[in-house]
Amino acid sequence: MNIGKPIQIIFFIILALLISSFLLLIDHVSPIAGIAELISSGFLTRYGLMATLNDTIPLLIVAVAIIIPFVAKFWNIGGQGQYIFGSIFATWIGLELAGSLPVALLITVAIIFAFIGGALWAIPPTLMKIYFGTNEIITTLMMNFIAVYFLDYMTIGPMEGALAKINHVPSSAPIPTPDLLPHIGGVSTGIFLALAIAIIIFLLLRYTNFGYELKLIGSSVDAAKYSGASLRRDLLLSMVLSGGIAGIAGMIQVFGITTVLLPQVFSDITTSFGYVGIPVALVASLNPLITIISAFFFSGILNGAYAMEISFGIPIDLVITIYGLMMFFAVIGVMINLGKIFRRHRAK
Amino acid sequence: MNSLVSILLLLLPTVVLGMVPRAAPIFAAALGEDVDQSAGTLNLGVEGMMLLGTIIGFVIDFETGDFVLAFIVAGLASALLALFHGIATISLKADQVTSGTAIWFIGWGLSGFIYSSLFGKASSPPVVKTIPTLYIPHLTDIPYIGKFLFGQDPVVYALLITFLAVQYFLFHTKAGLNLRTVGEDPLVAEIMGVNPDLYRYLALIFGGFMAGVGGAYITLSLVGSFYFDMTAGMGFIAVALVYFGKWNPVRVLIGSLVFGAVYVLYLALETYFPATPYQFFSMFPYIATMILIILVGARAHAPAALALPYIKEG
Repeated sequence: MNIGKPIQIIFFIILALLISSFLLLIDHVSPIAGIAELISSGFLTRYGLMATLNDTIPLLIVAVAIIIPFVAKFWNIGGQGQYIFGSIFATWIGLELAGSLPVALLITVAIIFAFIGGALWAIPPTLMKIYFGTNEIITTLMMNFIAVYFLDYMTIGPMEGALAKINHVPSSAPIPTPDLLPHIGGVSTGIFLALAIAIIIFLLLRYTNFGYELKLIGSSVDAAKYSGASLRRDLLLSMVLSGGIAGIAGMIQVFGITTVLLPQVFSDITTSFGYVGIPVALVASLNPLITIISAFFFSGILNGAYAMEISFGIPIDLVITIYGLMMFFAVIGVMINLGKIFRRHRAK
Repeated sequence: MNSLVSILLLLLPTVVLGMVPRAAPIFAAALGEDVDQSAGTLNLGVEGMMLLGTIIGFVIDFETGDFVLAFIVAGLASALLALFHGIATISLKADQVTSGTAIWFIGWGLSGFIYSSLFGKASSPPVVKTIPTLYIPHLTDIPYIGKFLFGQDPVVYALLITFLAVQYFLFHTKAGLNLRTVGEDPLVAEIMGVNPDLYRYLALIFGGFMAGVGGAYITLSLVGSFYFDMTAGMGFIAVALVYFGKWNPVRVLIGSLVFGAVYVLYLALETYFPATPYQFFSMFPYIATMILIILVGARAHAPAALALPYIKEG
């Protein structure tokens, strides 16, 4: 596939930024100054780069998670709910076991629990698809909303922390073990886990029979059936993996960044990584390795947009429109097939 | 259990009266989506189009005080988004799910961006007067049914007329038959001398317009102010209702009313059961959506060419 090339990703990003820069005129901000601020603060300063790398971690994990069923054209829009459930499960086990386990073991257990939490949340819509033929886009999305309310309930109910009662900001108690996921140069070590997941899923999709069957299902369900692939097993497995991995992103957020379960982090438009993972994956044309690059750029734009909000008062919501535009250009880019046009030109 | 039944009975008048305005925004969007899908285009951008409608409608009403103008401009803004979806999916044959998701994000971001840009520095959140409901002396005063039939706001009646028009158009006119043929088999339509792309574009623009109207209804009639992400999945519920309605506006209307009732019911139950965490009631509409589409499930007969781009051969 052609758009996967990193150069083309950058092309889409530039195009999306150019168009959205005109929106800055609504705020009486010069498009050039705004975009310059976005790029320099998101990618070029030390602090900005640190924040960008930290946000790349959950974004990359969720995007890679989403890719697995997307390859089979099973549209898992429920990354957000799975991400949330992973964070709930991980926080819960973290609070239960903190202090009684060595940190390395605690983290391992938390990863497993996050995986289970996310996977559990991915299973109902998958079973509904398998047994009732329901549209997964709708069911997975509905599960997101239910997850948000459940998280809200947990953090003002059973998991409410002492501080939350005083602040009236819903949150869990902090996980008491220090250095859960240590930072190196300001960047969470979760980044190694994120990169490992991306590479493993890349290998899984490219070199295993399972990955081959998912692609086959994605291109033609009939062909997949004819070749003997078990549609039900493949779909279920892809969704368990997808939900589980998205859940791990939730664990990384809690253990590496917030140390408490904070519903706000999951409801703010900008940190709803479960949703943002969708354009990240699609712009990378569902290739887990290229997703590393696209997650980095998406995250940089996010952090640049934060800076733009502080310096110029540009509302942060703009970043979601930029993401949408990038996705839009990526999807029509496939059809226009820039690469082909260039090659044909050269051949002449 | 007995007390629950008696509470439900007690709530019945509230639910019946309240369900129509609650159903209206979902129905507007779902009616548009029904026409879209009948012509073979899946529009997943409805959520974004509704969100754009909420803010555009609000801004125009806030600035001019003219709610009719506000609805029209909101509809047109969302129709413009639909046009982009059309360029991508009809002309360039791009994937409809991906393009729809992109449109959703674009509208989602724009709604918050426009609001914060224009009103972000206001000390108190701006409000507009909600649309007045109709009052016809005597008729509206009829006990039980008066308010239900003659006491809604004008947009509800406009939607009702649109619904009748769409129903007539789809199933009783030549153009409606053509549109459904495009959704079933664009090649056959082309042989019949119909231009599939034209029909799909027009259907999509109508769908976008209706989504914008639905969004504007939320700010202008239900709430009177704007808050972020205020559709909260209604656009996707609208898509689900089209499946539930099996591409028939009458069933879509019934589904929308059921939804309106669910919304009113959960709001009312929240106040009746303060001890139960409100979040569980808030989950109602989403759980109801999932149950509804299980009920229809695979038995639904979708337009055969739904979500497939039409590529001319040769």
